[in-house]
Amino acid sequence: MTNPLLLFWYRMFSDDRPARRRPARWRVPLASRRQPSATIFLVMRRMRAPLIVLIAIFAISTVGLTLIPGQDLEGRPWRMGFFDAFYVMSYTASTIGFGEIPYPFTYNQRMWVTISIYLTVVGWAYAIGSLLALVQERSFRQALSLQHFTRKVQRLNEPFLIIAGYGRTGELLAGSLDALGRRFVVIDRDDERIDDLYTDSFHADIPGLAADAGDPGHLAIAGLDHPHCEGVLALTDDDETNLAVIQTAALLRPELPTIARAVSPTVSERMRAFGTPTVVNPFDRFGDHLRIALRAPASYQLMTWLESGPGAPLPPRGSPPSHGHWVMCGYGRFGREVTEDLRAEGLDVAIIESRDVTDHQPDAIIGSGYDPTVLAAAGIDEAVGFVAGTDNDTTNLSLVIAARKANPKVFVAARQNKAASASLFAAIDVDSLLVPADVVAHEVYAQLSAPLMWRFLQEVPLRDDAWAAGVIDRLMELCGEHLQSLWKVRLTPTEAPALQGWLGTGQARLGDLLRNPDEREERLHTVALLLARSGQIEVAPSDDFLLQRDDELLLVGWPSARRLLDTTLLVDATRAYVVSGRYVPSSWIWRRLSRRAA
Amino acid sequence: MNLEKVVFGFFVLLAATLNFGFFIGDIGDPELHNSYELYAAVVVNLIATVLKFGDRTQIGAVHLATSLVADLQLIAAALVWGYASYVSTEGLTREATASVVSLSGGALMANIVSVVLLVVETISFHRR
Repeated sequence: MTNPLLLFWYRMFSDDRPARRRPARWRVPLASRRQPSATIFLVMRRMRAPLIVLIAIFAISTVGLTLIPGQDLEGRPWRMGFFDAFYVMSYTASTIGFGEIPYPFTYNQRMWVTISIYLTVVGWAYAIGSLLALVQERSFRQALSLQHFTRKVQRLNEPFLIIAGYGRTGELLAGSLDALGRRFVVIDRDDERIDDLYTDSFHADIPGLAADAGDPGHLAIAGLDHPHCEGVLALTDDDETNLAVIQTAALLRPELPTIARAVSPTVSERMRAFGTPTVVNPFDRFGDHLRIALRAPASYQLMTWLESGPGAPLPPRGSPPSHGHWVMCGYGRFGREVTEDLRAEGLDVAIIESRDVTDHQPDAIIGSGYDPTVLAAAGIDEAVGFVAGTDNDTTNLSLVIAARKANPKVFVAARQNKAASASLFAAIDVDSLLVPADVVAHEVYAQLSAPLMWRFLQEVPLRDDAWAAGVIDRLMELCGEHLQSLWKVRLTPTEAPALQGWLGTGQARLGDLLRNPDEREERLHTVALLLARSGQIEVAPSDDFLLQRDDELLLVGWPSARRLLDTTLLVDATRAYVVSGRYVPSSWIWRRLSRRAA
Repeated sequence: MNLEKVVFGFFVLLAATLNFGFFIGDIGDPELHNSYELYAAVVVNLIATVLKFGDRTQIGAVHLATSLVADLQLIAAALVWGYASYVSTEGLTREATASVVSLSGGALMANIVSVVLLVVETISFHRR
C-alpha cells in the first residue's frame, strides 16, 4: 500500500471493517483529583525553602571570607578572592575539610570560618533532611506509584479487564484469569490488598491501584478509555460502589461488557437500568444451586466441577433430602432467597430469626437458633434439613453444632462469611457450604473463560440427572478426577485448514476427529462438551455426530490432547491418517508420486 | 497584599538590577565592573530560580526557563572571570573582561524578559 493513489482509493471507498468503527461517545474525562502529577513539581515545590536557605548561607559565608583581611606567607596583607573563598566554603560546608589554603588563616578569618561551619552544616542538614523526608512521605510515594500505574496501564497492548475490588472474590478470579493468560488491572480501596497483589505470584505483571473504584477518574486512570479494555468487573463488597462502577462504565463505554456483584435486589434493578450488565447475586445463585441440587444431584455436581476451573477435583455428589421439613436460621437477604427457593421446591420451611420479621413471615419464630427450646419449637426433631444462614460465622458454627445435637441425621447447609473461617467450616464438615465470594468468582469465571462454557452451564439444569451422571462418567473415564483445560476449536478455513475437504463430504463424524494421530485406535483424552452451529447448540454431542464447516466445539481434556488435535486440524497427512487410517506422504513431491503410482 | 508575591517580585527585580549594574560601563575596562556585583547577581539569580520552582502554569514555566538562562550565562561569566584571574597567566585582561561582561549582558536580556513576564502577569491578574 505504498502507492498514495491506492491508499487514497482505499481510504475513500473501501468499507471500514466493523472492528475499526467505534460508536461515537464522550471521551472519558481524565480529570481527577489524583491525576498523575508530575512528581518532579512536588519535589521542586517542597525544596524551595531548604534550597534558598542553603544558597543564602553559602553566599554570606563566601562573601564574608573575601571581605576579612588575611595575610600571605611573608605577612603582607592579602585578601582572599571569590574563587578561593568559594572553594574553601564548599569543602568546609560538605565537612570534607582540606585545611587552610592558599595561606594559613589569620584569627579573624578563623573566627568567620568557625561561624560559617556551623551555618553551612545546618543548611546542608536541612536540605538533605527535607529531601529524605519528602521521599519518605506518603503523598509523594502515592504520586510516584500512581505515575507508575498509569504508565503500566498505558503500555498494555493486549486486551485486558478492569477488576474493581480485590477481596476474596477478586483474588480467586485473578488467579484463574491469570492461569488462562488473560490480562487485567486491579483497583481496590485498601492499600494492603494492593500490596498483596504485588506479592501474589502471577504470570503477568498486574498493575494495581489503591483508590476508590467508585470515582470515574480512577476508572479512567485504570484504563476505561483504553482501546484494549474489554470489560469491567465490579466485585467490591459494597453494592453502592459496584453500582457506581457499572454506571461509569455504561455511560462512558456503553459497548463494554460489565459484570457486577450485588446482594440487594434493589441495587440489581438499578444496575440493569444501565445497559446490560450481568449481575451476580451470590445468595440468589446459592438458592438456585440448592434447588438444582435437590432435584438433580449429578447436574449440580457437574456444574460445580466445571465452574471451579482447571485442576479442580471432582466434588462429592451431595444428596440433600428433597422431601420433608427444613429449618432456616437467619432471615436476612440470604435467608429470604433460600427460603423462597426451598418453598418453590415444595418443601416446608420453619424460620428462626433473632429480629422481629413477623410482618414478612408471620410464622417466623423469634429467638436464637442455638437455644434448644427454640430449635425444638421449629421442629428440629422431625426436620430433614437445616440451614445456618446468619451473617456471623461464630453464630453459624454454634447453630450447626446445636442442630446436630438436637437431630444427628439432619442435612446441614451453612453460610461462611469470612475467608479466615474456612478451616473451621471444613473441620465441622457441613453437607453444603455457601461461600459468597467463591460463588461470585466461579460464576464470573465461567462467563469470562469461555462463552460456550457459559451456555453449556445454562443447559445443564434443563437436562435430567441421569444425563449429567453420564457426562461425568465420560469425563472421569477420559480425563481423570481433576478437571483438565478447556478450549474452543472453530472448524473454519483459518483454524482448521486440513479439515475443510473432509467436512464438505458430510461424513465427518466427531468420533473420527477425536482419534489419536499417533495411534488412531486410541481416543484422544478429550470430551466435546458443546457444539455451536450458527446460533444452534448441541450439548455433549455423541461420537456419531456429523460435523460441518464453521462449527464451534468446546472441548475439555488433557493439554497434550489439545496439541495432538491441533496437528490434526492443521496437517493434511495427519488428518488423512486419523480419519481414514491411510498413510499419506506429507511432502508435495511424494504426494504427487504416490498419486501417480496409485 | 500577598507576601509571597512581594518576595518573588523583589528577587526577580533585584536579579535584573544587579545584573544591569554589573553590565553597565565600558565593556573592556576591569575597573568599571565590580566582582562583588557579579557575585551578588549570581546569588540573587539562583534564589530567584528556586523561587520559581514548582509552578505548573504556562507563565510559570517560561519564568523558570528565563531564570535558568540567566543562571547559565552568569555562571559562565563567573567561570570566565575565575579562569582569567586565577588560572590564566595574563590575568584579567581587556579581552577577558569583555567576555565576562558580554556574558552578563546575555543574562541581562533574560532578566529583562523575566521582569516583562512579571509585569504581564501582574497586569493580567484578575481577582475573581
